[in-house]
Amino acid sequence: MRAGIVTGRVRWIGALVTSVAMAAFPVVGACGTSPGGKVSIEASLDQSAVAPGGVATLTVQVRSAGLNLPDVTLPPLTADVERPNQPVRRTPVTAERAGTSQSFSMVNNAVERSATTVYRILPQSEGTIHIPPLRISVGKETAQSSPLTLTVSRTAASQSQAPSGAIGGPAKAPGGRPEVFVQATVDRSRVFWNQQLLLRLRLYSRVDILGDVDWKPPPTTGFWTEGLGPPRRGRVQVHGVPYEVMEIPTALFPTKTGRLTIGAAQVRVRVARVIQPPDPWSMLAMPEVVPQDLALASDPVTVVVDPLPPGAPSGFQGAVGDYKMALHVDSLTVRAGDPVTVRATIRGTGNIATVRDPEIRARGATRQYVVGSSTKVDRSGDQLQGERETDVAFISEQPGALTILPVAFVWFDPEGGRYRSQRSDSVRVAVLPGAGAPAQAGRVGQGIAAAALRRKPGPFGSLSPDPPPASVALLGLSALAYGGALAVAGSRRKRLRDPRMARLGVLESLLAQDLSKADSLAARNEPARAAAIAEHALLRGLGIRYDVDLAGVARAERMETLRSRGADDAEISAVESLLDSLGAIAYAPPETRVQDARQAIRAVKERLERYHRELAS
Amino acid sequence: MTRMRLLRTLALALAFALISARGAMASPSVDAAALYNAGAEALARRDLGPAVTFLLAAYRIDPRARDIRTNLGIARARVQESQGSEDHASHPAPPPIALSWAESWYLALAFVMAGALISWLAAMRPRSTRLLITGSAFFAVGILSFGALFLRAHEEAVHPTAVVVAPVLEVGPAPDERPLPPYLLGAGDEVRLGPTRGDLVQVRVSGNAIGWAKRSGLWRVADAPRYTGNSGV
Repeated sequence: MRAGIVTGRVRWIGALVTSVAMAAFPVVGACGTSPGGKVSIEASLDQSAVAPGGVATLTVQVRSAGLNLPDVTLPPLTADVERPNQPVRRTPVTAERAGTSQSFSMVNNAVERSATTVYRILPQSEGTIHIPPLRISVGKETAQSSPLTLTVSRTAASQSQAPSGAIGGPAKAPGGRPEVFVQATVDRSRVFWNQQLLLRLRLYSRVDILGDVDWKPPPTTGFWTEGLGPPRRGRVQVHGVPYEVMEIPTALFPTKTGRLTIGAAQVRVRVARVIQPPDPWSMLAMPEVVPQDLALASDPVTVVVDPLPPGAPSGFQGAVGDYKMALHVDSLTVRAGDPVTVRATIRGTGNIATVRDPEIRARGATRQYVVGSSTKVDRSGDQLQGERETDVAFISEQPGALTILPVAFVWFDPEGGRYRSQRSDSVRVAVLPGAGAPAQAGRVGQGIAAAALRRKPGPFGSLSPDPPPASVALLGLSALAYGGALAVAGSRRKRLRDPRMARLGVLESLLAQDLSKADSLAARNEPARAAAIAEHALLRGLGIRYDVDLAGVARAERMETLRSRGADDAEISAVESLLDSLGAIAYAPPETRVQDARQAIRAVKERLERYHRELAS
Repeated sequence: MTRMRLLRTLALALAFALISARGAMASPSVDAAALYNAGAEALARRDLGPAVTFLLAAYRIDPRARDIRTNLGIARARVQESQGSEDHASHPAPPPIALSWAESWYLALAFVMAGALISWLAAMRPRSTRLLITGSAFFAVGILSFGALFLRAHEEAVHPTAVVVAPVLEVGPAPDERPLPPYLLGAGDEVRLGPTRGDLVQVRVSGNAIGWAKRSGLWRVADAPRYTGNSGV
């Protein structure tokens, strides 16, 4: 660690003190103070060299006697590259303010405040970063820190620290002593097709991690991937530095041959950066924890995948690993019609989920069913282990023997580099006659009466749920008919809503109902009632013709109203004459009363029909 | 305006008829007696998977036949009994007033035709709003019934009903899926099928896919005539 001594207002004294301090404490920071002793500032770097892309931490501590505490501003930084006979090239350097902690103390009525500010310096290219003196002033007191220098170089950073080992195998840490880094390793660089490859994805950290780690697994194109349990945790020394390690092991099974690359894993993590207070003796000075989000990535890993050697025996279906097979028959004696189940179990190390089931056959079986298969995988260790079971049921309807033929399983042993096989013995199962005689027609066991067989065929039908073609055709026709009915009804309703059509409808009703009734009454020798109905119909028809209500209106007023509505005098007099003749029927001689009534009704009818024609035209 | 509305109505009706005709494919006529006899014989020899399959197929054609309903109830009770169910004494016999597929279609059609007829009567009479509403109600009931039947037929076409014929059928995840404990189905269990993948078929129960099983352990009810020689196909 490198430090600088602060100079005060009298520059030469400060320079002298700086020189003395540098000579006495070459790597330890010392606090510089203003001449009055009321203000001091100290700047220090956590390392003197850093690799491009790395992080260096600049800590600035400010102390002031009194309540007034000045603020410190870091000027823009540049990385300078000096080459012989060339001008100095300056590259901007990012400096982030990570956080600030403040403290307050009062001793013997003397108040003192202090603040510690942490900056993260993120150089991207090689060069030398010169941090200029940082200056503060309170009143007449002025202080400034001494300049600092940070070397950005890959070689300098790697020489300053040397990594040395990790849990479960050597760990190659990046240059320097990073607080957090990610590493992906494989247990072997050359494997056979479908042979397990153990990928360890590790997160090294020497700072506290806040919350959960967001792991994004690396792209593993060309591999069948199986996770090996939850993340494992441990503690290791890397280059003499203790680290907390979180490891995610994954079993990879190549599904292609040649050079395959495991991509970079992405890890997002939030770490807690602790900022120590400047005055450890102050009761109020507590360390401040500043959360910081980091995005990390591992380096890609390349492995070589060899194809399986030629000369695979018959029956080989791609199983690679270390396996054993067991065959189990659930019973060596069965009754005819009852199933006997044969179970083949393959157990071992490898990609058990992709192991094909061995072929199980029997001689003497009437029927056979594949009952099913199941896979159990053990992910607790570094090797993927498990077992796969296949059940096949055989049924023989005839008493005698049922022979389970030998079952063979072939796999490739990658450690031995050869194909291996296992073959079971044949198993003979005795088939006894069925339980009792065959069930009689019409009876089913346990006393349940079943219906007897049918002797006549039929009925016939379809098992398909699709609609019968005839029903679809009729549905279409019905829909057309319904649509037509709606259209006709709509048209009719629209016609009835027309006032002219409504008046025509009333006239038609008068003609069809009222006058017909009057006619029939006259025929039944009731001329007075017939004349009254005809008179009422005439007055109503007249009102409809001229769009006026004439019910209960006196003659003179009626005539005036009709005249005002456009009726000519001839029409009015004809109507009045007809009304007079209808009124006189009740007083006509009995022998001519009916004849007169029928004649008057006919005249009314002809007049109403004329009104209808006039309205319709 | 009225003519345009009439033409639009006719076009809609014609389109509906054409859509309906798409699903109307002539299917072979099957003898319910042959299916029933095959199911009864399978039931007699305690072969529950084929028994349920044949009897379900026969029930589809002749759902009100007492013998078919009785034996189907017995077969289902035997399935429950073989799987250790406690209430196998009560036979889940189908209802006696059920309709076959074709009868259901024609009943819906009867409603539609009655609605159209009543609507025409209403259109011919003045002031017949109530009659027109009655006709429209009949027509709507018929159309809704047709729609429901179409949905049921579509479900059967996409997820056909099948019966487990293997003594024990293991339904588990596909080979490329994460291993999970399998479901075990017994002979006679009624399920629906989904898509196929190689020799595997997706098994669905109560509308949910529960896994994949060997196709050889399942018979589709619609294919039941293929397993009996004299069913009329």
